[in-house]
Amino acid sequence: MQVHIMFFGQLTDITGTQELVLHDIYDTNTLQETLHELYPALANAKYAIAMNKKTIQGNSMFSGDSTIALLPPFSGG
Amino acid sequence: MGLPVGKKINSFGMSERKPKNIFQQGAIPATFISESIQKHSSQTAIGGHSIFLGQVRADETENGKVKAIEFTAFEDMAHEKMHLIREDIFAKYPLTCMHVHHSLGHVQSGEICLFVFTSSAHRKAAMDACQETVERLKAELPIWGKEIMENDEHQWKVNK
Repeated sequence: MQVHIMFFGQLTDITGTQELVLHDIYDTNTLQETLHELYPALANAKYAIAMNKKTIQGNSMFSGDSTIALLPPFSGG
Repeated sequence: MGLPVGKKINSFGMSERKPKNIFQQGAIPATFISESIQKHSSQTAIGGHSIFLGQVRADETENGKVKAIEFTAFEDMAHEKMHLIREDIFAKYPLTCMHVHHSLGHVQSGEICLFVFTSSAHRKAAMDACQETVERLKAELPIWGKEIMENDEHQWKVNK
């Protein structure tokens, strides 16, 4: 199983990259723990999570390859 | 015919409310806005237009003065969200049409980065729909503004 992760806005200042692919992760809680280990400052950042372009709340299981987007507070307009 | 109020039907009898690209690279030129207004002159059922223009403000901040905003977006998700907002607004107000354009990339202070244009037979629907669309898209569309300072430092825009 492959998870394609996209970072946006101020989160890219922390990660230094807009995209990342991780393998063998099966839910969003584990994904967040992994990302917070890779990028400790991410743990203090405010962001929502979208799975396949839909915002999700709480822990969600991945069913097959998934695209996860980490979305900091929006500031369009 | 039992058509929903405000649902725009083209000459082929099809709904025109499909997802539209709202993004364009760089600032929105005043000529684009005037041409957009001009295009509506043939739609004589329209009695009122409402237009909102968002302009990049040269804020004085503790990190310096803003000279430009660099916009990025999760474009696919933004288009899906904008489509839902559009459906909601058309269901709520008897609009003839709605156009939304947002900049991506670099927009200098003083330039236009958002253009929302609603039209209806009578003014109130156009005005209320325009305001609600602006509020919703600022809150719901995954778009981010990176404020570039005169000293080339940056900070991330926060919507109020």
